[in-house]
Amino acid sequence: MSDNKHIVCKTSDVSPGLQKIVQVGRMSIGIFNIEDQYHAMLNVCPHQGAALCEGPVCGTSANTEKAEFVYCKENALVRCAWHGWEFDIKSGEFLVDPSIKAKTFPVSVEGEDIYVHI
Amino acid sequence: MLIDVDCHNYWSTADVLIPYLDKHHRDYFTRGELPGPRGAFPHGHRAWLHPEGFKRADINPISEEDNYTIMKEKHLDKYNIDYAVLTGDEAIEASTLANPHYASALVRAYNDYQIEEWLPRDERFVGSICIAPQDPHLAAAEIRRLGHHPRMVQVLASHGSTRPYGDPFYHPIFEACAEVGLPFAIHLGGQGGINSNPIAAGPTTYFWETHAILPQAAMTHMASMIAQGVFEKFPSLYFVIIECGVAWVPSVLWRLDANYKALRKETPWLKRLPSEYFRDHIRFTTQPLERPDNLQHLWSVLEAMDGKNTLLFASDYPHWDYDDVNNLHIPPEWRENIMGGNAMQVYTRLQDLEAQKQTAKGELHV
Repeated sequence: MSDNKHIVCKTSDVSPGLQKIVQVGRMSIGIFNIEDQYHAMLNVCPHQGAALCEGPVCGTSANTEKAEFVYCKENALVRCAWHGWEFDIKSGEFLVDPSIKAKTFPVSVEGEDIYVHI
Repeated sequence: MLIDVDCHNYWSTADVLIPYLDKHHRDYFTRGELPGPRGAFPHGHRAWLHPEGFKRADINPISEEDNYTIMKEKHLDKYNIDYAVLTGDEAIEASTLANPHYASALVRAYNDYQIEEWLPRDERFVGSICIAPQDPHLAAAEIRRLGHHPRMVQVLASHGSTRPYGDPFYHPIFEACAEVGLPFAIHLGGQGGINSNPIAAGPTTYFWETHAILPQAAMTHMASMIAQGVFEKFPSLYFVIIECGVAWVPSVLWRLDANYKALRKETPWLKRLPSEYFRDHIRFTTQPLERPDNLQHLWSVLEAMDGKNTLLFASDYPHWDYDDVNNLHIPPEWRENIMGGNAMQVYTRLQDLEAQKQTAKGELHV
């Protein structure tokens, strides 16, 4: 984890399903809460540069062999604000093609403060 | 190797089917109402009538026998065709009838007529199992009845239908295709009767205008077959789209891929991009191949759909928009694949026939 850490917000600012967009220098970053673990993702979609982290935090349908819909990744996925591409918040992976990744950053928590490591 | 995957074996009158119809439906055919004079094939006709008729004007059979002898002279022998896939003519129009039992009886009679009266005439002929898709279970029974005939190489339906072919309603057909190891093909046609929506936005006016945009329905079928997961459910299935145009294909694939990337969650049974299912499972026939003023425009589009590997040569003999074998405007280095190699891969029955032919030749030389 890089020592270049930046305090970005309080843990109370981010709840499951409700992200917070913060600014670190010139970078816009989304902070997410998945079961009280915190994650950070660059607010730029690898598809067309849209405000990825401003889209809905939600779940999606798991891969299946037939017409059934198994809800998965609840609150662990963000749909890009523009075109709806689904990204796994923890890994940054695009679900359709995991070789396409959104940039993610390590996060640490000290007391109630959330730090992003750039 | 030269394989024509769309060669129409005409009849002069649909009365040729009488000996092959079951007695119940033979009464319908001989005493019941027909959509034309005696000899007309029962079907619901489309709203557009070709102002000149479909046939090339230089092909004028008088006797039933002429339908073969003229084809032999002006097509099979002239171009030295190795295999011609017979696609019938009016038989697929049975898909337009509301009564699925009558429709199924008609295609059953046609299939037997084809096997009895066409296949034995020429060893270059291979056949299509025509089906009436409006009752998928009856269609599946017909596929299983004839599906192991060594010279029947595909299952064939009209591209006009009551709903998109990927609909689970039709899956019994694909299950039967997969079981007997045959591709499922659709051919332009069946735009009347119960298939009441051949043109989006409502019926167009003129024949030429309509004929140019009939591929609309094929776009729907391609999207539906992919989205409904037919190729996940039946991983060995090939879907062949005959006479529905070609140059539109890449643009629709681009759109399908883009939308899938955004809304994968609607169809979690899919594991790959729509264009990847296309590449592995869908084949298009060339005729009538679009002809822009600048051929490079067409070739760029064909390249975008991997035309070298996804196109099959078709002549559409003896129709008015026939494509000549020697003047097909495709990149020369693709010719071997498109004129026969790709068809040989899709129509696995042809591989068996060709192997037998080579063995027989070998024995002859010993």
